[in-house]
Amino acid sequence: MDSIAFLTPLFEPRILMTIAAGTFGGLIIGALPGLTATMGVALLIPLTFGMAPIMGLNMLIGIYIGGIYGGCVASILLRTPGTPASAATVLDGYPMAQRGEAGRALGMATIASTVGGLIAAVVLATLAPELAGIALEFGASEYFALALFGLTIIASLSGDLLKGAISGLLGILISTVGADPISGVMRYTFGVQGFASGFAFTPALIGLFALSEVFTQMERIAAKEEPIKIVSGRWPSRTEMKESRGALIRGSIIGTLIGIVPGTGSGTASWISYNECRRASKTPEKFGTGYAPGIAATESANNAVCAAALIPLLALGIPGDVVTAVLMGGLLIQGLAPGPMLFQTNPDVVVGIFGGTFIATIFMFIFGMALIPVFSRILMIPRRLLAMSIVIFCFIGSFAINLNPVDLYTMVGFGVLGWGMQKFGFSQAALCIALILGPLLESNLRRGLLQTHDDVVAFISTPITLLFLGLTVLSACWPMIANALAKRRAARTQLHQEAQ
Amino acid sequence: MLKSIFIGAAVASAAATGALAADFPQRPVQVVVPYSAGGSTDLSMRVVADTFERLFDGQMVVRNQPGGGGAIGSAAAVNARPDGYTLGAGAQGPLVIKPLIGGTNYQLDDVEFIGLYARSLQVMVACADAPFSDYDAFVEYAKDKAPQVGNSGAGGANQISAEAFADAAGISIESVPFNGSSEARTACIGGHIDAMVASPAEALAASEAGQMTPLFVMEDERMDLFPDTPTAVEKGVDFTWSSWKGVIGPKGMDEETLAWLREAVEKVANDEEFRKTLTDMGEFVVYEDSEAFEARARKDMETSKKVLEKLDMLGMNN
Repeated sequence: MDSIAFLTPLFEPRILMTIAAGTFGGLIIGALPGLTATMGVALLIPLTFGMAPIMGLNMLIGIYIGGIYGGCVASILLRTPGTPASAATVLDGYPMAQRGEAGRALGMATIASTVGGLIAAVVLATLAPELAGIALEFGASEYFALALFGLTIIASLSGDLLKGAISGLLGILISTVGADPISGVMRYTFGVQGFASGFAFTPALIGLFALSEVFTQMERIAAKEEPIKIVSGRWPSRTEMKESRGALIRGSIIGTLIGIVPGTGSGTASWISYNECRRASKTPEKFGTGYAPGIAATESANNAVCAAALIPLLALGIPGDVVTAVLMGGLLIQGLAPGPMLFQTNPDVVVGIFGGTFIATIFMFIFGMALIPVFSRILMIPRRLLAMSIVIFCFIGSFAINLNPVDLYTMVGFGVLGWGMQKFGFSQAALCIALILGPLLESNLRRGLLQTHDDVVAFISTPITLLFLGLTVLSACWPMIANALAKRRAARTQLHQEAQ
Repeated sequence: MLKSIFIGAAVASAAATGALAADFPQRPVQVVVPYSAGGSTDLSMRVVADTFERLFDGQMVVRNQPGGGGAIGSAAAVNARPDGYTLGAGAQGPLVIKPLIGGTNYQLDDVEFIGLYARSLQVMVACADAPFSDYDAFVEYAKDKAPQVGNSGAGGANQISAEAFADAAGISIESVPFNGSSEARTACIGGHIDAMVASPAEALAASEAGQMTPLFVMEDERMDLFPDTPTAVEKGVDFTWSSWKGVIGPKGMDEETLAWLREAVEKVANDEEFRKTLTDMGEFVVYEDSEAFEARARKDMETSKKVLEKLDMLGMNN
């Protein structure tokens, strides 16, 4: 077959080296809080000007895949999401690290990222044109319903429903700061130019999770609590692997499907996956306590998004997320217009990209596994020193994105907020989800009503919308349903026992 | 006050060394791009920086400073120390439109125009499933029903150009704002809106694949890429619009530095390799000197002012 022949150039040492370098670089960029995969890809695009398309594009894809993966390192070790995609990994990764299982947590994340990446790459290579149609189905009402569905995660994530709802509403309120998405009027900026496009997301996240954690640890250090123990090792135990099997598959599928829908991205995918895997689990109460399947759920989903986001890009010329939008720029510079024609005019490029996704994922696995002991060593730094370095990283990372001093205030503000929330039992995760989904929810609600001239029924009556709205109701009522089911089961076993 | 001290210092040092221009630049020149990395303004400026380093014995660093729809980075360039070492990517939205809407701490009068090196031409396209597929049908349809025209954001250049055309053609449209042109394009290919204003790069492959249909181009003359697509002008509507890519700086640079920079932009814009790379990216590479550049910006401002007044957005955020 011809398409197999298109893969041969990928195995030229020069090209393999370039993909490896891209993946490694991406991994490091992703691991550093504040430096995101988007930034890595965008900054290195000029390097690809002079390269052959296969080489240049696959280097960028390597940075993308490595960058999304790398985010888990800081999430697990420092409670600082390296990239927004890994914010949900904090939930189980960090408690595992605190228990001295950092190596195994990182190992689980690496395996999950690899599985997610490979499954999505298979889907990309086999079904891209067929699946690309999904991307086109999403209009304002569908995005709105998806965002609403996503927000129901808050209900099941927070033990205290009222506090969870308050955190979520606060997040939505915060996400309305900045220019109104439909009219362009400034809202709640208090005349500060730097807030014109809202609070910058990554600094907010860094503050919310990392700086707040430093504050909490300062208190613990002051109270002379025990430091974290280091346990070596990088492979999850057999039981952990067995428990995580379902989460791996489910996360990969959810990540792939959400990756295909443009404008949602890996942050949304990892949260939704986390929630669905928790719900499907036989032991949902273990999620959030340092449970390996929790890591499997988020990391498989966010890396599945990488390859999946390439599906609408290559098949329709529609970038699936910010990074693929930058990649589209890379394709255009090479004189290649992504879209249905690309499969006919440049099959070599298309097949080359398919192959490159696989190769980059394999490199990601190798580097990730090899580096675990190195990364784990970060935890051996004395707590005071580590806390200091995290603070420094928080500042550098927040500033590096936009070089906007306002972002530093954002980070510190969210740090204090996150610390307070933690102290009084409010869910930072709920706030984070609302920050991600709030803008998606609001702009699509407003746009949809604008397009249907405020006809609410026309706005919510498409099939996909109805599906997601149904799921939303189901999901919001799930705690009650699960409760009822458990009672019935208990009653039945009791009856059974009495009968015996 | 502070500015005049800087100018004074610059003039004094120029007088002391005799030939400042020959000495410029002595350290890296920084160009602030008011958007995040990866967009077309950013990518083209990176090609400028590459070419600059190849042609001159100097370094040019691109610094991204996004936020506020480009207002933050543009303010950084316009309010920078006028020594020639901090310049900006001149973009239409933040320079011409934002100050009219309000909330910026600079005006068009604060901008020193250095040179324009490319323009992004604009095409109005019909989206998938639209009830029209050529100019005449579009205008006919729009006479009794306002088509939904997607744009890259409320009060952005995209919305201005669509509304300005509607005004000139005597039709009405319904603007549907998206978060960036890439989202609008997705909705367009998916058939969720009727039409949008796109760049040739965004429209070419999609129209070849039948995902969108070009209706008219916003130029005086037809484009090479779309030889069969009419201009609004030849259809009897006096309307042209393009967004531009240029180099700007703060007011108050000394004459010699300014002259050196203007010449440098001209040399970059006329460089063979530069023209090829940028053309491949879908840009229309054309050089305009500072005067023509400024005149273009002022003309766009007049057009925008009329549209914003009609939309009730003039000074909205002041």
